[in-house]
Amino acid sequence: MASFVPLSPDTLEDQRLYTSARLTEVACLDCLATVGVKKNSEHHTSIQWSTEARAHCPELTRRAGGRESHAGCPRMLASIETAVREGAVPVGAEDGY
Amino acid sequence: MSDTGSSTRYLDQGKPPERFARGWHCLGLESAFADGKPHGIEAFGTKLVVWQDSQGGTNVLDGYCRHMGGDLTQGSVKGDEVACPFHDWRWGGDGKCKQIPYARRVPLRARTQKYPVVIRNGQVLVWHDVEGGAPDMDVLPPELPGIGTDEWTDWFWEVVPIEGSNCRELIDNVVDMAHFYYVHLSFPTSFRNVFEGTRATQYMASKGRPDVSGGYGDAEMFLKSEATYYGPSYMINWLEVDYKGFITEVVLINCHLPTGPDSFTLQYGIAVKKPEGLDEKTAQYIAKKYATMFGEGFLQDVHIWKNKVPVQNPLLCEEDGPVYQLRRWYEQFYVDVADIAPEMVDRFEFEVDTTKANEFWQAEVAENLAKKAREDGEGADGVANPEAEGKPQVMTGT
Ligand code: FES
Ligand SMILES: [Fe+2]
Repeated sequence: MASFVPLSPDTLEDQRLYTSARLTEVACLDCLATVGVKKNSEHHTSIQWSTEARAHCPELTRRAGGRESHAGCPRMLASIETAVREGAVPVGAEDGY
Repeated sequence: MSDTGSSTRYLDQGKPPERFARGWHCLGLESAFADGKPHGIEAFGTKLVVWQDSQGGTNVLDGYCRHMGGDLTQGSVKGDEVACPFHDWRWGGDGKCKQIPYARRVPLRARTQKYPVVIRNGQVLVWHDVEGGAPDMDVLPPELPGIGTDEWTDWFWEVVPIEGSNCRELIDNVVDMAHFYYVHLSFPTSFRNVFEGTRATQYMASKGRPDVSGGYGDAEMFLKSEATYYGPSYMINWLEVDYKGFITEVVLINCHLPTGPDSFTLQYGIAVKKPEGLDEKTAQYIAKKYATMFGEGFLQDVHIWKNKVPVQNPLLCEEDGPVYQLRRWYEQFYVDVADIAPEMVDRFEFEVDTTKANEFWQAEVAENLAKKAREDGEGADGVANPEAEGKPQVMTGT
């Protein structure tokens, strides 16, 4: 069972391209969390957490599920900014994305 | 195989889902069912019967009697039970047949499909799960402080049946930054998404477009919007509208009931925090105004949905939102609980500074304004842009 089922195998490749391709690992400077980061441009940032990373982040854990947990962890954001500044995260799109 | 740039891009329209999403779904305002009569609500490929019992409890069962298929929504409420119009079998809110007036005994197997009910913020929510799992109380939408008290208006509630589109079109809007400019005529100034567990959130700040608003001074309208889906079908949208420094707090509920593979019922409700110093009547008037404005906004979306095709392989540009990640999140409601994969529920964050898109849009708006000024100079009529008259200038999370 699924929601819409793609009819073409190429769609699976698109799904991979847009979700898991080109993620760079960035470790938090304050806790044990490591996330996947993609920057298509200086203006854009995608952050992919894993279950494990999420469990490590004390800030997100502390917020415990209310509306306030929608905002990002400032320490992780700062760690990502540092990584970008140091050139550890490639910035740029591939064929428009 | 990925595109090399030389081959033609085609649309994968996909196969529509064969089941309806698992989760809490809103049937409407509790007060709408409180008249002592059975009500029919189309949902999940069938019709549900909804009625209030003598204790004030709201009950929801499948609308068709398990005896001979009579339509319970056309029956009546007798005591606490709904009575079938065909042979008067009496069905209780627990799904059991309680009485057959002409029979000595009720068959043990006389149980029908019941939907667990929770009343939240004055609305009736039911749990739908094709696997028949127990309702998950942990994923209910939150109670809204102040709502239902004197500080807020009552809900303005609207029901809009949509034919010809699957409800996922509505879900996709969570990530669709650019359509706010083109479809809803507003400028998103910042945009952010967070998906985690059963929730998907969109943050957006926007302002009105001065070139298409017909002179209501809407460029001075700023909107802060935080919209969260709690599960597959129920979104709470917290809105802060700043019009010339006058700030209004609005809560919009955007929810839907899937009725078939390409139809659903859109429902939305609006409540406004009564501005201090304003009398009841004025507050109601403002709430109604917003209801109309947001309602028109939805109709702009509906027009697009009705004419588009479903797409499983959207082609994205750098400025587009995370539609693939959103759909991956949405998938969790369509698979068996045992098949929910970590990536469907793991936290994902997306942020785009809309500066780049805005530079382009500002230029387009400036051009439109200049064109308008030239036309105003020539023509005798003062109407700036008749087509845009009365269209909403700010939009919500959809
Ligand atoms: S069909 Fe309902 S009582 Fe017979
Ligand atoms: Fe929209």
